[in-house]
Amino acid sequence: MDDPLPIGEIVIATRSYSLSQLCAVCGVHAERLIALVATGIVEPTGTHPAAWRFDDAAMHRAQKALRLHRDLLLDLHGLALVLDLLDEIDRLRTRLARAQS
Amino acid sequence: MKFKDYYRVVGVAPDASLDAIKNAYRTLARKLHPDVNKQADAERRFTDLGEAYEALKDPAKRAAYDQLRAGGWREGQEVDVPTSSRSFHADDAGGVGDDGFGAGDAARFSAFFQSMFSGRGQGARGGPGRQAFPRRGEDIHHPITVSLEEAYHGGERQFQLRVPQIVASGGVVEVARTLNAKLPKGMVAGTRIRLRGQGHPGPTTEENGDLYLEVELAAHALYRVDGRDLAIDLTIAPWEAVLGAQVAVPTLDGQVTATIPPGAQAGEKLRLKGRGLPGEPPGDQYLVLRIAVPPQVSEKSKDLYRALAKEAAGELQAQVGA
Repeated sequence: MDDPLPIGEIVIATRSYSLSQLCAVCGVHAERLIALVATGIVEPTGTHPAAWRFDDAAMHRAQKALRLHRDLLLDLHGLALVLDLLDEIDRLRTRLARAQS
Repeated sequence: MKFKDYYRVVGVAPDASLDAIKNAYRTLARKLHPDVNKQADAERRFTDLGEAYEALKDPAKRAAYDQLRAGGWREGQEVDVPTSSRSFHADDAGGVGDDGFGAGDAARFSAFFQSMFSGRGQGARGGPGRQAFPRRGEDIHHPITVSLEEAYHGGERQFQLRVPQIVASGGVVEVARTLNAKLPKGMVAGTRIRLRGQGHPGPTTEENGDLYLEVELAAHALYRVDGRDLAIDLTIAPWEAVLGAQVAVPTLDGQVTATIPPGAQAGEKLRLKGRGLPGEPPGDQYLVLRIAVPPQVSEKSKDLYRALAKEAAGELQAQVGA
């Protein structure tokens, strides 16, 4: 068991990623991410790929989509539905927890 | 080396066909995938499943495994893994399988798997062309529950994580690790706090993933939370409602004096601007008025009330549906 680590650097996650930065973070080629945007799975700001900026929420959503695509062989359209449903489940869980407290 | 019963993990009989194994794997993978399954051990179980599938779907690996298993080993028993005479191709080491179904990250498979199927190239994720470039370590997401006071003032928290660590032999073990985190002020439900480099290991420490703490707010006995706004019930006396009053109310920053305007009604909300959770802009604190009637009154009070009733008869009377 390690000694307690020194106090970690805390940053409230508000970074924005360009397309090439997101490719590096996710370990995929641009085509993959462009396909995610085309299906509406992630929504960057900006009008064309060179100007796209992804916030942290989009980064996480992209990573989640890529994992599900890789691990469960979901096609992009199925993926979009699955992600929306997972978000809805999270929202409902939160509401349920609040209502029960 | 602890023996792993791969047939049990996938949920098939030892003589199951490859199709049966594939189907069983896919059904379980949908259930256990950490993005879908929120239980604490989902990730480990998913990795275990991926490892079992990797071992069983390849006829050569399955044959080698069956040979060892014929010795009668049970899950968890200490066993000496024979050095395999044939070296398994690096492509078989895991990552995306030939049928496209990803088996999770082979680098996280157990030491048992690593020894059975040769140590060479086990850390590499699949063959050439399967990956765009070496991956940054994956991020870890860890929910934490904070009290409203911590969300408002910030705080410090120490907690334990189980994280994978690469050991000298190239395999991966899980270590318990204690982390001290300073929590900033102004957290709300859903705030993410990033601790750089504290996620899964990457090829170098600069490329470690990050640890994201995802904030959930604990229910509070007094305050109700809606985004950054807070609400509390404030019970006042009838004369305070009629005449108005200055009342001491709690806020997360200590007590303040709130002014009840004359003619306040039950159910009205008074707003204390900027007294909610911090942010850009900060939330507000609402006081939801309730008017309580004293349960017992003295005779003298009763006389005063009767006089008041006569005087105020025209001003308000009991009504239905108002």
